[in-house]
Amino acid sequence: MFIEARGIEKTFPAPAFGGGAGLRALAGLDLKAGTGITGLAGPNGSGKTTALKVLAGVLLADSGEVLADGKPESPERLRALVSYCPANPRGFYFRISAAENLRFFGALAGLPPAEAAGAAAELAPPLGLSAADLGRRFDALSEGTMQKVSLLRALSRRAPVLLLDEPFRGLDEAACAGLLGLLSGLSGSTAVVIASHDAALLGKAAGRILRITDGTNGGEAAR
Amino acid sequence: MRTLRAAAAFLRKDFLTERSYRLSFALGAAGTLSGILVFYFIDKLFGSALAPHLAPYGTGYFTYVFTATAFFGYIGTGAGAYSERLRLEQAQGTLEAVLSTPITTGAFLLALTAWNFIFATFELLVYAACAVFLFKLDLAAANWPAAALVFALSAACFASLGILSSCFVMLFKRGNPLAWVLNNFEGLLGGVYFPVTLFPPWLAAVSNLLPVTYAVRAFQLTVHKGAGLAAAGGDILALALFDLALVPASVYLFHLSIERAPAPGTLGQY
Repeated sequence: MFIEARGIEKTFPAPAFGGGAGLRALAGLDLKAGTGITGLAGPNGSGKTTALKVLAGVLLADSGEVLADGKPESPERLRALVSYCPANPRGFYFRISAAENLRFFGALAGLPPAEAAGAAAELAPPLGLSAADLGRRFDALSEGTMQKVSLLRALSRRAPVLLLDEPFRGLDEAACAGLLGLLSGLSGSTAVVIASHDAALLGKAAGRILRITDGTNGGEAAR
Repeated sequence: MRTLRAAAAFLRKDFLTERSYRLSFALGAAGTLSGILVFYFIDKLFGSALAPHLAPYGTGYFTYVFTATAFFGYIGTGAGAYSERLRLEQAQGTLEAVLSTPITTGAFLLALTAWNFIFATFELLVYAACAVFLFKLDLAAANWPAAALVFALSAACFASLGILSSCFVMLFKRGNPLAWVLNNFEGLLGGVYFPVTLFPPWLAAVSNLLPVTYAVRAFQLTVHKGAGLAAAGGDILALALFDLALVPASVYLFHLSIERAPAPGTLGQY
């Protein structure tokens, strides 16, 4: 599968009655990512996260379209096709365990409990997550472990498109290596897009790297 | 299947979350009983003063308020739970994560408050057990099929109001005028704590605009007087008309608010 953004524009409106101008995040972005790993690079505020959220169907664009295998798709359909891992690993229920969180979000994505548990058991070790980590309440996890659980949530859906926003943030060296291994294993069957400021790890992970500048495609980055 | 799986997942998650606050969980159950006792002693003190207003229902004050509180406690869950749960999801930062999954609007609506309705059912059973075993209320005259119809129509009506209320939460986060009305005036003006015949005409006119007035009156009549479709028909028809307007409107507007909420990019904000 390949996923494509065509002429995506997105301006975040200024707060009502708050004055000021809106924030233009994407200004006609074109982007295409097929099976394999595509990196997204660019300075803070260049539009990487906004682009990923539009591709994931989590954010509506003002104009332009998102296509999957050449066909324009609705945000609802995109949410079924795309697994999205946000940059912030805090979108979890803190009073229940990591494993229960994975079971919950797996169910919303259509995974039966056994399948969600099986995926977690298979994907956790390369990330350095133990069964004890998964059994711990989410608010007892370190920031890096939360990030690993967040990655696990996205990876375990086994969606045809995987979007990862700053996936290496907070991970130790071994977990980064484990993640690179997992992504490499997926690259033959899944369209993976990674946004990251870590040029070295992005370079290792991605077959090609696109640069986003001021909300537009700045072309392929030099390797 | 997916809808049921989503509802089961929410139920399990909410149960585990509630259980993690053990004291609150226990106090919630005990609070149900303490509320009833307040009205028991009010009845001892002032009960006879309300007798003329309670004559149409053929019951005393305590039985009246007990029935209405149990009934309103359940149907009120629909009115409050949607916006409360949605606000909680916003505040803890999980709303965007949930809505990033392929969950449908219908499944989300059903699942979001499934725990609240289960807990409200438990409370209703506590009320029923107290009515039978502790206070020995006389419910022999009840027309249970008619009461069940009133219950179902009322629950649908209040759930619709709750869903409409949650649209405000989805779009504006705080500042929910419908919840404000529901929280502050439904119980007071709807005849939950005393019959609406106590009101002056102008307040009775306002009360007649609220579905809770018809719901409480019809439920009281069916439970205490054994009223059927003939005697409580006007109130039942009014509830059915409220449902006819509110159920499709609320589901449509909630779907719209879910669809539109991602546009300004505020799903992750609170």
